Amino acid sequence: MNKIKGFISKIETSGNISIVEIDVDHEKLFSIIIGDREDFLKLGKEVFVIFKETEVSIAKNFSGEISLKNQFKCKISDINMGKLLTQVTLTWNNNTIKSIITTSSAKRLDLKIEDQVTAFVKTNEISIMEI
Amino acid sequence: MFFVDTEFIQTLTITFKLATLTTLILVIIGVPIGYFLAYSKHKLKPILETLIAMPIVLPSTVIGFYFLIVFSPDTIIGGFFEKVLDLKLIFTFEGLVVASVIYSLPFMVHPVQSGFLSVPKSLIEASLTLGKSRIETFFRVLIPNIKPSILTGIVLSFAHTIGEFGVVLMVGGSIPGETKVASIAIYEEVEALNYDKAHLYSIILFIISFLILLSLFYINKKIVRADKL
Amino acid sequence: MIEIKVKKELSSVKETFKLDVDITIKNREFITIFGKSGVGKTSLLKIIAGLIQVDYGFIKINDQIWLDTEKNINLPPQKRKIGFVFQDFALFPNMTVEQNIAFAMAKKDKNFLKKVLEVTEIENIKHKKPDTLSGGQKQKVALARAIARKPTLLLLDEPFSSLDLETRQKLQEELKKIHDEFNLTTILVSHDFSEIFRLSDRVFLLEKGKIKKHGKPEDIFIQEKLSGKVKLTGQILNIEKEDIMYIITVLIGNNVIKIVAVEEEIKELNIGDNVIIATKGFNPFVLRTM
Repeated sequence: MNKIKGFISKIETSGNISIVEIDVDHEKLFSIIIGDREDFLKLGKEVFVIFKETEVSIAKNFSGEISLKNQFKCKISDINMGKLLTQVTLTWNNNTIKSIITTSSAKRLDLKIEDQVTAFVKTNEISIMEI
Repeated sequence: MFFVDTEFIQTLTITFKLATLTTLILVIIGVPIGYFLAYSKHKLKPILETLIAMPIVLPSTVIGFYFLIVFSPDTIIGGFFEKVLDLKLIFTFEGLVVASVIYSLPFMVHPVQSGFLSVPKSLIEASLTLGKSRIETFFRVLIPNIKPSILTGIVLSFAHTIGEFGVVLMVGGSIPGETKVASIAIYEEVEALNYDKAHLYSIILFIISFLILLSLFYINKKIVRADKL
Repeated sequence: MIEIKVKKELSSVKETFKLDVDITIKNREFITIFGKSGVGKTSLLKIIAGLIQVDYGFIKINDQIWLDTEKNINLPPQKRKIGFVFQDFALFPNMTVEQNIAFAMAKKDKNFLKKVLEVTEIENIKHKKPDTLSGGQKQKVALARAIARKPTLLLLDEPFSSLDLETRQKLQEELKKIHDEFNLTTILVSHDFSEIFRLSDRVFLLEKGKIKKHGKPEDIFIQEKLSGKVKLTGQILNIEKEDIMYIITVLIGNNVIKIVAVEEEIKELNIGDNVIIATKGFNPFVLRTM
């Protein structure tokens, strides 16, 4: 479980769905949420941003347009290669993020420690937790 | 059968009358005592429990002797009984009944006490939470559920009374037609070398006691089965 | 409004501690008292029922004072309008089902008796004796008997803990139905999470004789509030390493599911732990069953 501290900078609601923008060290993450706004979802409130390692995609030398709203530049600090799966540890500003991808993809991208990559997470994969 | 004379029948009658009367009295006083001992937390309870259990360990002659002393007309208690209640307890049938009740008390109290203790506490608590008083709980919940224990008490008390020798001899004095019971009669007939008469007493005692016990066990089985249906 | 203030010295096998509780309950609420074994839950329930005496106590039910140690008021259990359901059912073996239930009624109210038998669906076993019934049937009878007296307060002491899962779930539904149908105020002692989440309006968390927390089940048991709308309570059955991750097997009700986790997550988890599995409503598939 990736857990990163930030604060709620914007909430856009339509009916029973909201897109919540969270400021993490001046960069933005976005989460889409169902239902009534929980009482901890208020502008300015400090929260944790939660997303699963298996939901983090990695791109190297990325250029082009992609629908994923959450994209942020990271540096690889560790790689743990298993037979089918690889855990890549990334550093994003002061935060540590882990990603689990297939070993074949890790090899295909020729990922190495110190590599600069772009990490992606879909808005529907991000949850918000009260601090 | 020239052995079967009036004295023979009288002796047997006295024996079974004594056992039945003693057992009945023991049911009436033994059940409440068993209830008290099962549930009370009174400080004097251990003393009471020990006193009630004494007849099991003491030789019957000791009990008989002390009974004589306590209830003899010269003493305070014995005098009270004779002058105020007009009740002579030495060398009388009434005395035998009182002595037998004391002597067989633990044989009624203990099974009944165990019976009460084996009823789950939650049954009593349930009855109280359902609005019933302790007395109603006693009669409607506790007694029906300890029927086998009461029956055991009855069987043991009855059998124990029939088997009495020492107490009955000292307190009753073996007066024919009054306080001579079968257990003493057998002893006397053997002393007098009347083995045939001794045989007759013994076999009849055996058969009647056996039949009574058998029917009581049968009743117990029926009670247990009825409860399960 | 129900006020319960109670202080009592309790001793368990390990230690002596003080039960010190101050609770306010609204009429028609369904309350659960939760806590580990030996923490005072059953004692608290029995104190409310009047089966156990206290050092200090004040119990007021609407306008009636059941207990006030300072004014020497102490109504015995018979005079408190309660229904109590015991863990071991406590049915009277010498009476039939119908007699057990009628025992509770001061005067045999035939119509109410009939209603109770119907709502608890035990009409067809009313002539049977308790020894011939299954665990689930026994507890239904115990429930029926407890409400036959038209109590103000229904108290249940871990009533379903000795029953199998399917029976337990059916009886939980029954209990909720009875609570609603007969306008009861209910206090349930339980340490079954799914039971608590399903039935209670509010939970009181009892720890070493004191109320540590109270509130809605979600507020009490979920340490942090999470935005995900799919939350399930379950128990960890197994944790296995697979490649560079871990797979946690979780029992949720009757279902066994498997969840992926990383090393940091499983460090604090053990087999047997009660857990909440949370995910967003955006993720699961919906498949129709026949």
